[in-house]
Amino acid sequence: MNKKYDAIIIGAGVIGCPIAYELSKMGYKTLNVDKLPDAGEGSTAGSCAIVRAHYSTADGVAMAYEGFKYWLDWENYLDNVKDEKGLARYMNTGSFLLKSQGHDWKKVKKNYDEVGVQYEELDNDKIKEMVPVADLHEYWPVRRPEDPKFYDEPTKEIEGAIFCPEGGYVNDPALSAHNIMRAAEAKGAEFMFNAEVVDIRSDNGKVAGITLKDGTQIDAGIVVNVGGPHSFKINKMADGVWEGCNIKTKSLRHEVMYCPSPDGYDYLNDGYHMSDGDIGCYVRPEVGNTFLIGSEDPDCDPQQWVDPDDFYAGKGGNGKDNVLTDAQWKAQCYRLGKRIPSLQVPNQPKGVVDLYDCSDDWIPVYDKSDLPGFYMAIGTSGNQYKNAPVVGRMMAELIDACEKGLDHDKEPLQYKFKYTDRSTDVGFFSRKREINYNSSFSVNG
Amino acid sequence: MQLYVCIKHVPDSAAHISIVDKTHIDENLTFLLNPYDEHAITEAVRIKESLPGVEIIAVCLGKNDADKTLRSALAMGVDRGILITSDKRHDSIETAQALKSAIEQDGTPDLIFTGKESIDAEGMQTMFRIGALFDFPVATNVVRVDIEADRAVVDSALSGGIVNTYELSLPCVLGAGRGLNTPRYPTFPDVVKSKKKPIKKIMFKELNINVSLAGMNIVELEPLLQSREPKEITGDAGEIAETIIRILKDGAKVI
Repeated sequence: MNKKYDAIIIGAGVIGCPIAYELSKMGYKTLNVDKLPDAGEGSTAGSCAIVRAHYSTADGVAMAYEGFKYWLDWENYLDNVKDEKGLARYMNTGSFLLKSQGHDWKKVKKNYDEVGVQYEELDNDKIKEMVPVADLHEYWPVRRPEDPKFYDEPTKEIEGAIFCPEGGYVNDPALSAHNIMRAAEAKGAEFMFNAEVVDIRSDNGKVAGITLKDGTQIDAGIVVNVGGPHSFKINKMADGVWEGCNIKTKSLRHEVMYCPSPDGYDYLNDGYHMSDGDIGCYVRPEVGNTFLIGSEDPDCDPQQWVDPDDFYAGKGGNGKDNVLTDAQWKAQCYRLGKRIPSLQVPNQPKGVVDLYDCSDDWIPVYDKSDLPGFYMAIGTSGNQYKNAPVVGRMMAELIDACEKGLDHDKEPLQYKFKYTDRSTDVGFFSRKREINYNSSFSVNG
Repeated sequence: MQLYVCIKHVPDSAAHISIVDKTHIDENLTFLLNPYDEHAITEAVRIKESLPGVEIIAVCLGKNDADKTLRSALAMGVDRGILITSDKRHDSIETAQALKSAIEQDGTPDLIFTGKESIDAEGMQTMFRIGALFDFPVATNVVRVDIEADRAVVDSALSGGIVNTYELSLPCVLGAGRGLNTPRYPTFPDVVKSKKKPIKKIMFKELNINVSLAGMNIVELEPLLQSREPKEITGDAGEIAETIIRILKDGAKVI
């Protein structure tokens, strides 16, 4: 007799765990299966865990702003569960969005006004007061160090910045997923690790359960794909699912650099999250008084689409495997070195290489599928960590509504936010949508 | 004062290393300035900032792409570079001869720095061979350098925490150790300024090197596979602390 659950959730990362938590609170008996040894050890662990509200769509801004409330109230969100590993911490540094040609900041401002996000517009003098190490020249367009024009002298300054007092980062994303797992377990959820899904079974046109690599079969009438960079492989295992999606996902390799803060600048304690489209970078403080430097994927940077299994096995060679490249180290550090001229750049690359589960328009797919009972929360495209608690709740309500008869494709669920006075049309995240050209097609979302 | 720093273009210590044909590594990975050479360059720059009329010249034996490591050295404050190009791999004997010959051709060394070892070959001998060829005194694993009128006073670290202090007449050869200083890495403005600094290229075969009767060849490279089996330390807090102290003291010998 196979073990049976109400819902099997494939993946115990920062999106998979809150889905289990919310479904469990609603009375579902859930099981998460993950091929790694613990929660949050996949692409969640490589996340920069930035919490900020500037998205290119009003819906994106609203969801992110709603997410803030969960991070700010972490213990209560977890219903005061104890985690033997401690709790992850949200560091509210405040967040700069520099006004640059690399970012449609006027659209962001409009979205902020619509949603009610608090912000101030700052001039360059004010920015320099807050970030004394900054050089505010305009360096647009973003280039690579191999391009001789990378070294051109700037001629004017940027127009200032939009500053949000709310914004920052979570200091340990893998731990945050672990915390949510413990909270879910306190509501009856179960988790199974070192458990790789190799098949998704269906019966009479409905999902019936999963099969693991060791042959174990587990039954459920609901299966949710939260497989991160492996999401496309999982969708292909289920009858009709891959074919029924207009928006597909694939995994994109990304390098994030750690560069020491200049002498005399306590970035860890005094610094802000900064999104700097002018140089194609975003930064936030990291332990060791270090700048974590992420890339906003400027057009001049080649994109490496990889097979996730090869990648995590260290295969693929220089530039395709999970080792930092010197070329990208210099690109991201020297770009930041224009904004922060006193930044000293070591010769040895240091940082993290990991994968985005990227959708065709960099907007997630939070939806049911063409196989009744099979759902997906995928295509997070490097920009959904901050929304995880909201997505957990939204997916649980979507699944519950569909299981109770809602035809979500015809009448999309309207999800009511718990903190922000607004609803969002979950159809915005449909697998059937046409590519959304309002998207920034980048990690900015 | 002409201060020469001998540098090497080596694989990044974080790279995946794979062996090809049993005798060499797959070079499709990141190469960079040997970490010990960073300490040598930083010390040379410190000396230049404290004395008048000092010129720092970096010398490197390597393939054409070693140009990148010379650029790193220039960005860190070296005044100019010399790249001795060769497509072959050279042992320490030929390397020392090439470096000595290039330095001699270029100027009059008052002080020659190297790193105490390269992280790929770890021969730890090139500085001694250079010293022997020039008939200069040599000290290695140097963790302090003071230059006085005609001599260098240095602290040289041995294992077990012992430090010897030596006085060497100038010119001399010094192998920089990790404790010598904290490397001063370049800012972006430093990188921009260094683009104008010159790198002179000479071919290995242009140097008049006496072919030595002795030589070293790599017969075979075999990967050292380490199996790591973690063991959990159990007990109450006091017992765990005692076990940790015992491991650090008797096992790792760091306290």
